[in-house]
Amino acid sequence: MEKTPQIKVENLSKFYQMGEVQVKALDDVSFEIYEGEFVVILGPSGSGKSTLLNIMGGMDLPTSGRVIIADEEITKYNDTKLTAYRRDKVGFVFQFYNLMANLTARENVELAAEICKDTMDIDEVLEEVGLSERKDHFPSQLSGGEQQRVAIARAVAKNPLLILCDEPTGALDFTTGILILALLRKINKKMNKTVVVITHNMAVGGMGDRIIKMRSGKITEIKENPDPIPPERIEW
Amino acid sequence: MKKLNKRLLRMIKSSKGQFISVVVIIMVALSIFISFSTTAVNMRNAIDYYYEETKLSHIHVQLMRIPQGALRQVESIEGVTDVQGRVSFDVPLKTDDEEEKVRIRIISLPEGGGKVNRLYSPQTIDEITQGNAILIKQFAEARNIMPGDIIEPYINGREHSLKVIGVASSSEFVYLMENEQTMMPAPEKFGVVYVTEEFAQSTYGYKGSYNEILIRVKDESMIDDVADELDKRLDKYGVKRIIKREDQLSPKILSQELMGLDMMAAAIPVLFLIVAGIIISIVLSRMVSNDRMAIGVLKALGYSNREVLLHYLKYALSIGVTGSLMGIVIGLLLAGVLSEIYAMFFEIPLLKVDIHYVYIIYSLFLTSLFCIASGLMGARHVLGITPAESMRPEPPKSGKHIFIEKIGFFWRRLSFSWKMVIRNILRSKRRFIFLVMGLAMAFAINTVPVYMWDSATGMFYIQFGQFQKMDYIIGLAKPMNEDVIYDMKGLLKGGKLEPRIEYPFEISNGWRKLNASIIGIPRDTKFYEFRNEHDKEVTLPEKGIFITEYMAKALNIKKGDRVKVKNFIPGKDDMYFEVREIIKQYLGANAYMDIDYMRETLTEKNMINGLSVASKEDLKTKLEDARNISSVSSIDDMTKTFEEYIDVMLLSINIMMLFGGVLGFALIYNSTIISIAERRMELAALRVMGFDKKEIFWMLAKENSVITVIAIFLGIPVGIGMIQGMADTFNTELYSLPMIITPKTFLIAGLSTLLFAAIAQLAALKKIHNINFIDALKSRIS
Ligand SMILES: Nc1ncnc2c1ncn2[C@@H]1O[C@H](COP(=O)(O)OP(=O)(O)O)[C@@H](O)[C@H]1O
Ligand SMILES: [Mg+2]
Repeated sequence: MEKTPQIKVENLSKFYQMGEVQVKALDDVSFEIYEGEFVVILGPSGSGKSTLLNIMGGMDLPTSGRVIIADEEITKYNDTKLTAYRRDKVGFVFQFYNLMANLTARENVELAAEICKDTMDIDEVLEEVGLSERKDHFPSQLSGGEQQRVAIARAVAKNPLLILCDEPTGALDFTTGILILALLRKINKKMNKTVVVITHNMAVGGMGDRIIKMRSGKITEIKENPDPIPPERIEW
Repeated sequence: MKKLNKRLLRMIKSSKGQFISVVVIIMVALSIFISFSTTAVNMRNAIDYYYEETKLSHIHVQLMRIPQGALRQVESIEGVTDVQGRVSFDVPLKTDDEEEKVRIRIISLPEGGGKVNRLYSPQTIDEITQGNAILIKQFAEARNIMPGDIIEPYINGREHSLKVIGVASSSEFVYLMENEQTMMPAPEKFGVVYVTEEFAQSTYGYKGSYNEILIRVKDESMIDDVADELDKRLDKYGVKRIIKREDQLSPKILSQELMGLDMMAAAIPVLFLIVAGIIISIVLSRMVSNDRMAIGVLKALGYSNREVLLHYLKYALSIGVTGSLMGIVIGLLLAGVLSEIYAMFFEIPLLKVDIHYVYIIYSLFLTSLFCIASGLMGARHVLGITPAESMRPEPPKSGKHIFIEKIGFFWRRLSFSWKMVIRNILRSKRRFIFLVMGLAMAFAINTVPVYMWDSATGMFYIQFGQFQKMDYIIGLAKPMNEDVIYDMKGLLKGGKLEPRIEYPFEISNGWRKLNASIIGIPRDTKFYEFRNEHDKEVTLPEKGIFITEYMAKALNIKKGDRVKVKNFIPGKDDMYFEVREIIKQYLGANAYMDIDYMRETLTEKNMINGLSVASKEDLKTKLEDARNISSVSSIDDMTKTFEEYIDVMLLSINIMMLFGGVLGFALIYNSTIISIAERRMELAALRVMGFDKKEIFWMLAKENSVITVIAIFLGIPVGIGMIQGMADTFNTELYSLPMIITPKTFLIAGLSTLLFAAIAQLAALKKIHNINFIDALKSRIS
């Protein structure tokens, strides 16, 4: 292959000691992701998806193994470097949006942007996610779908290397969920950003360029999908 | 503005009540600090300047009589720079109202105003000449006497008339009191009148001689040596007292007052800041655990630990800054008011209200220190929150058994609702401990004013109701044979009489010494009651001496030790006496002896210089102008003056109670709001189950009262400690506060604490109404 991988995950393991028992949240996981890919990580609840995403996003450290992002081994980073990595390189989107309740939509986006060096124009980003009209509303005045758009704008505005989404549609109804996925896909295409989406929903898998299936902390299958379906045609 | 700062502002706005309650505490703390410190410094500066400007004497000698020429012996003492003799005596003044008794001290002034104890007046006053007088300002103002008016004192039984040519202040009488026994200045009852030397000497029978000497020395460190030398050289002139500046009545009271001010300026603000710190750390730690997820998100977005921690610290700091700015402004304004209050009691003409920036800097520093420390204490858990962890649903709070449950028989007896209350209180042990500590402090602060009230009134009424039961103490102009009692008996219709002798002596133990009167009274006295340290009644022994607790402490004396009494009376030797008992006395510090033994050892056989009298007659009118009587003090009059003073005291006591109350209020208010916020879900569930708002209110009220009651009990020893500290600070030669601590003290303080807790609980009521139980149950993410 002529392309070099943007993200390399090598023999990654994460164990939790819960009293007598050891929980293997991740058990020797390895894979690669290329720049601009839309990756779907698929697996039932408790299979270790979030654990994996958190380590990739520099929010958590593995028990063993490495994660290399753009030739930097982030699993070797100390706290300061991890913070800087999260600040400049990653955008997160969470299942429950997790916006700051006492900041407006626009302020939530600015909160993320104002600490990065090279950011996007906030109004443009809000326009992009379709929220120009509602940018001065507080989270409590927005619907779940709108809140998730703010969260996406917040992730995108940082102009990150990759966008990590943990069950972004998990708290939304079907139609809204589809719209959010379509938005993520649009951003992925238009801005050429690597997007990783976690889901336990098999149907969503079809829209990814690459699908990684997990079960009990292990990868069961990595599938390249040269012909992804557009999100609008997903059904579940 | 930075978005985090914006979030901070909105956080503050949404918890206004909590924010304001802590701001108020800091504001009060700093306004006290600033106003008290500023006033103390301004007074100190003004006094030092005033003393120097008017050349206040370093040593003041009172003696029987010294010829003018003999002053040269004083001038030649090494270190003495200025010497001035004068004649000074107290006489009654004629007033329009026959009933009213006014006394004045007539003091002679050398030509040109002299070199020592110069008068101060903003206007120039003409040189006094024969028949003219200058009046002390406090007295002139209180009696509304103007220059040009005539005053008519009785001197040696004759009426004289003096024309007032001016009004002036004296640094010797900043605090204008007749003598040590007077409790409060009464400027309309006692004044000072300055006359020419010639007038004073001729009317009082002191031609060519003086009865007081004022001395200034080159360097204050020489005062002791000069005083010792004076003692030797003046012995033959009948030295009564050699008073160093620090022991002079007005300077002494002033410096005690300033010490008290310094103590309050330090202690009260620190107590308040501690309570504010406790609240801040409780509020912040609650805020941080509430914001667990938000903190995780911030960290996921790339905010560093430092930035997030600082975000929460800023909350504490903004409380501190707002409170201190308000406190500083109010404190500076109050400094003016306080100075004016002091100006009512102390005549310091050059008192200026200057701003001292150091105290502002201290305040800001002190507040920042407390706020940052308590902020760190409360917000440090920010550091422990990892973004990955915070995204996971919070594990259910580990329901632990609490230690009280182990006390089986007790626990089993509790009703279900009480079990709930106790579990809830102990839910967060650290907060419980903090809260109880803070409330205990608020309670203890409340005990102090209650005690002050009891002891000040007790001090007076025990002293004059129990320890001294006479109605009048009569001072004779000169020592007389005790047969005078029979003359007096004839004068009085009935009533009881007892002879007494009172002379000032220097009493010492090794290098420790003090000046105090020794009072000689009959051993079978009907007027005096003595109680020793163990509150046991004791009677005067045939030989030996009783001294007061204050004196025992100052001289470091135990019962059975011996003290040396230095005799100022010419031709009498110094003597040693065994201290037979250490007795309680709240007003003044004296020693007591059997009158016969005293006359045998220290004074003259058969002679007395005073009488104690029990009589319902108005002896003041009857005896005031009688020959041979120099003073008639009425216990009744003293009681009246005291009762006027009590009103002033009541006000400051109420203010102190309010302070303690504010602390209690803020603690309960904040903790209630926090526990409501924390248990929103549970309370909402209770609402869904059919509890009404009232029942929830009472549940919280029960928790608060249990906490408050525990705090009150733990606060009792703290209160006793504070009271002890207070009593020690105010234990002086002039008065000592008795340790009157009764259950009532704690009952009143406790009720006041509970009252403010109840008000706080009511203030939090609104938040219970605001619990939207549908919302609360919808999801854990809001
Ligand atoms: N902090 C933790 N402590 C203990 N066990 C954990 C922790 N985080 C995750 N786990 C366990 O690791 C496993 C994988 O969790 P997670 O990555 O959240 O799964 P998924 O996101 O796929 O639902 C689960 O069994 C979970 O209980
Ligand atoms: Mg998950």
